[in-house]
Amino acid sequence: MQITLVQGLLLALVGFICGIDQLTENFYWFRPIVVSFFAGIALGNVSLGVACGAVSELSYLGLLTVGGSVPPNPLMAGMMTTVLAYTTGQSPETALGLSLPFALLAQWVGIFFNTFFVVYVHKFDAYAKDADADSFKKLFISGIFLRAGADAIVVFLCAFALQAPIQSFVNTFPTFLIHGFEIAGGVLPAVGLGLLLMTTLRQENLPYLFVGFLMATFLTMPNVLPIAIAGAALAAINFMYEKKIDSALSQAVTPTDGGESDGI
Amino acid sequence: MASNVEKKLTKQDLNKVGVLTFFEQACFSFERMQAPGFTISMVPAFKKIYGDSQKDLSEFMTYNMQFMNTEPHMAALLQGLILSMEENHEDRKLISGIRNGLFGPFAGLGDSIFWFTLLPISAAIACSLAKDGSALGPILYIALWLIAGFSKILFVRWGYNLGSAAIGTISQNSKYLTKAAGILGITVIGGLIPSYVSVKFADTLVFGVGGTTVQSVFDHILPNVLPLAVVFLIYWLFSRKRANVLYIILGIIVISIIISALGWM
Repeated sequence: MQITLVQGLLLALVGFICGIDQLTENFYWFRPIVVSFFAGIALGNVSLGVACGAVSELSYLGLLTVGGSVPPNPLMAGMMTTVLAYTTGQSPETALGLSLPFALLAQWVGIFFNTFFVVYVHKFDAYAKDADADSFKKLFISGIFLRAGADAIVVFLCAFALQAPIQSFVNTFPTFLIHGFEIAGGVLPAVGLGLLLMTTLRQENLPYLFVGFLMATFLTMPNVLPIAIAGAALAAINFMYEKKIDSALSQAVTPTDGGESDGI
Repeated sequence: MASNVEKKLTKQDLNKVGVLTFFEQACFSFERMQAPGFTISMVPAFKKIYGDSQKDLSEFMTYNMQFMNTEPHMAALLQGLILSMEENHEDRKLISGIRNGLFGPFAGLGDSIFWFTLLPISAAIACSLAKDGSALGPILYIALWLIAGFSKILFVRWGYNLGSAAIGTISQNSKYLTKAAGILGITVIGGLIPSYVSVKFADTLVFGVGGTTVQSVFDHILPNVLPLAVVFLIYWLFSRKRANVLYIILGIIVISIIISALGWM
């Protein structure tokens, strides 16, 4: 389906609002599930937006946290998954695969700004030295608008201005290619989960992974909340147990010392 | 030290810091990261303490413009602490030392609570509702994170009321808390694998002519063993091979297209 100019502007507005949040990470509106939902509202197809959000959210879990590498941008992934599903009529899974180039483009914009704001830092330093809080504040606010404005423009260009060429390009894809993207869409959440494991998996908590895995495989549950509750119970047991052991140990080893840790 | 200092900050002043710190991470740069937002969101409260003293404001803004990178809720906690120490007229070298010593350990604690526990759990619950197109999923997600966002106001108050001694205990206990949050997060991630990663061979892919399907063999070993294997493979590529996210995603797409062309899935 075509995206009208009004819809394009609404999407840009979504890009702006979620762009501010992407910068501040305050309400997590930059997450694909929220961006897709808002984009679905802007396009007048809420259930499509919701479905696209569900597919793209998990693929982008943990993606922001890996230092050094270039993670694709979750805001743009959520936005373009919905937009591409809407304009090309493909399934959300396929649209997720197709949205990758746009998520990368937006990430490069992000890296550009993280570098560009170094210029700001030196101005901030000067204002701080002069105790000029007003100028500091003005520059700070201008930075927010600049960054979110860039997000809005990128969204508008990709969603509205480029829709015809993207549509005709995707229409030339043979079925096996489209189906390939669909398969990829089913596997991509494994990247988000793998990245989360990178930062959270330790030898001592590996067994708990299998508890959750087996519960989800063999029990019928409406959602993962029961697993979260089981996990919280296990965490609480471990918390109390380890504290007890440590205090018993410190009493046994250094009876006179107050158990002060070195804080490393 | 000076414990009988007149309290100049009211609850409203602290709430204002809590709201301003919503923008703590704006103007993020590779050089100082969150320093500008960390600084400016405390300035109105600081001015309330020190009035128009340009010298104090300059010192305050300068030491806060040092490198800062932590989890935003923990930043709020730290801001409350810094303001209470400023109000008690503690030595600025001490305050700045505490500021620089705590943001790192606190980042680990905050990340393990918000990024690695709350985010996967909220995302999983919202997605399981949203999968069928129910708007309840994203609405629930938005509601939850609105609470999490506004809770920064409480974090500022806690930091302000607890004082440096109590904050020290938190950072000692953070070892246990981080571990507990890790267990909860890992359990949920384990539960997410079967629900959200789908790797399934096509029913038409069989051994020999009219034999058993390839997928049924895997299902007899352990249902969902393929999604589990893929997640571990990706984890291994990240942790042992230091693979780039981009290459992994591109690799998945290319392999999926090849498998699709072969008609395996």
